Amino acid sequence: MTDAIVAEDLAYWYGDLVAVDHISFNVAEGEILGLLGPNGAGKTTTVKMLTGLMRPKAGKAVLLGLDMAKNTEKVQGEIGVCFEETNLYEQMSALENLRFFARLFGINRFDANALLKRVGLDGREKDRVETYSKGMKQRLMVARSIINRPRVLFLDEPTAGLDPSSSESIREIIKEERERGATVLLLTHDMEEADKLSDRVAFMNKGKIVAVDTPHNLKQQYGKRALKAKVASEDGKLEDREVIMDTQETDKAVQELFAKEKVVTVHSEEATLEDIFIKITGRGLLG
Amino acid sequence: MKWRTIGAIVSKDLSLYFRNRFIALITVLGTVAFLIVYFVMPSTTPVTDVGLYAPVVPSAFVEEASENIDFVMVDSEAVLREAVTQSDYIAGIVLPADIMEKFDKGEKPDVKIYFSPETTEESREIISLFIKGLAYRQTGQIASFNEKEIVLGTDLLGQDIPLRERMRPLFAVMLLMIEMFGLANLITVEVERGTVQGLLVTPMRVRELFAAKGITGIILSFVPAALFMALVGGMNNQPLVILTAMLLGAVMVTGISFLVAALSKDFMSILGWVFVVLIIMAVPAVGIMMPGTITGWAKVIPSYYLVLPVHQAAHYGSGWGDVWKYMLALAGFDLAFISLGIIALRRKFQ
Repeated sequence: MTDAIVAEDLAYWYGDLVAVDHISFNVAEGEILGLLGPNGAGKTTTVKMLTGLMRPKAGKAVLLGLDMAKNTEKVQGEIGVCFEETNLYEQMSALENLRFFARLFGINRFDANALLKRVGLDGREKDRVETYSKGMKQRLMVARSIINRPRVLFLDEPTAGLDPSSSESIREIIKEERERGATVLLLTHDMEEADKLSDRVAFMNKGKIVAVDTPHNLKQQYGKRALKAKVASEDGKLEDREVIMDTQETDKAVQELFAKEKVVTVHSEEATLEDIFIKITGRGLLG
Repeated sequence: MKWRTIGAIVSKDLSLYFRNRFIALITVLGTVAFLIVYFVMPSTTPVTDVGLYAPVVPSAFVEEASENIDFVMVDSEAVLREAVTQSDYIAGIVLPADIMEKFDKGEKPDVKIYFSPETTEESREIISLFIKGLAYRQTGQIASFNEKEIVLGTDLLGQDIPLRERMRPLFAVMLLMIEMFGLANLITVEVERGTVQGLLVTPMRVRELFAAKGITGIILSFVPAALFMALVGGMNNQPLVILTAMLLGAVMVTGISFLVAALSKDFMSILGWVFVVLIIMAVPAVGIMMPGTITGWAKVIPSYYLVLPVHQAAHYGSGWGDVWKYMLALAGFDLAFISLGIIALRRKFQ
């Protein structure tokens, strides 16, 4: 599988402030990479460099085998970007927004209505965007980002602040895009979302990539699964018991638990990506 | 250049421009208001009172010499001086008691002309030439004056321009300039709302974005100003010269709008910057409306090179040969403002 996105020693700084500190990573074609990190970690600056909005101060971005700095226009024809902040033309309708961007991509035949139906905006397509709810605007942003059937899709906090229904519909679109073959770089604070959608996740902190792996491997490496049980003591009180999973002693410990204790309830528990992020960086994702 | 892309942005910008009720309103109301002001102003030149103290009045001075100048006789030179100082008259003329004797002998009498401090340079020239004309009528001899003055005097004398026509360049320049609000706002809003980032991640080159914004700006400023000039008959003389000057003016306005947009964060800051620019740029036009109120320093104001060719072509029928130097200077300012504007906006987009 070839790489759709390659970041090679990318760096960007604003005066003395280093926003992105010589990071390198790659995203394979058809893969979803979740880029996680707190505000100010450098995620958005990284995406700006990868999408041609900003020229790296050092290193280079290679997309679809082409150096972004030298082939900006060509590469931009193959990518879609959904920004964190809503940046639609609010005095235009959804249809007008989509048709305008279709023209910029040189798309002659384009069924805007079908796309709007796909994101659940049919029936409101002729209303001005300024009358939309946040969720509707965000769905329109996602629709705009896939207008050109991009080979690489950048999504910056696509579900931030949305109701569960809107978030779910956007996640469905992300999955459909991946099934179509698109590569997705997903920036999010939502650990559950990253866990569900991403093939791999990259943790970013203070401008550096501090870990990249599959959610499963990260959990294996940094946070052990555990079996949590409540057992009844002789005097009838409930006490907690914990057995660490995925070790050589796990089987024996589980057997002993059930043999020696009066188990009332049992469930498994595993570390979240947030737990792992805190473990690695010493800070929370929302910090 | 991808003209399809440029066309899409221009079309979008024009559509958004007229969806902004405030901007659309000031454009339409501005054009209509200037038209109304123009048409309610007097279409004739005002009659000017000139004080005259003459112990002996030559016959030529008694006859109706001009439909635009009335002589008002005063009793003494001191009274005349006081009246002129108080701006009761635009000028005061003192004819010596021996004026007729000197005319008869072929000698040149001493004629004093008093001007009030507010009397414009052009009015002084007109009065001076007018007196020389009367003296010629009286004696049949040409008074001594240099040829340059004669040409200027001949052009101006008898060709007094009604105030409302004098104001045409001012109105046209104001209409051109007022569109700075619209274009600067369109660009600032793109940056403020982040829509420019949406544009810059499409396969569109930055130069196409600037070309589109430039074309939008030129259309928005040129069309109302040209429409105004056409409606008020400002293009009866040398329409091509006037249109070209205004087109170059629209390019300058677009360049300034780029700069204003780069310096502004919101509509209030646009208002502040545009008002400053408008006041400065209106100065040369005011100078045309009220000749003599500005001096050589006005030549450093770029709009001087827009107003002057429009004024000269519209009012005196000046052709390319007369105004090409101003046009060239204007084109130079265009280049400077557009370049500076693009550099500043590029930095802002980054």
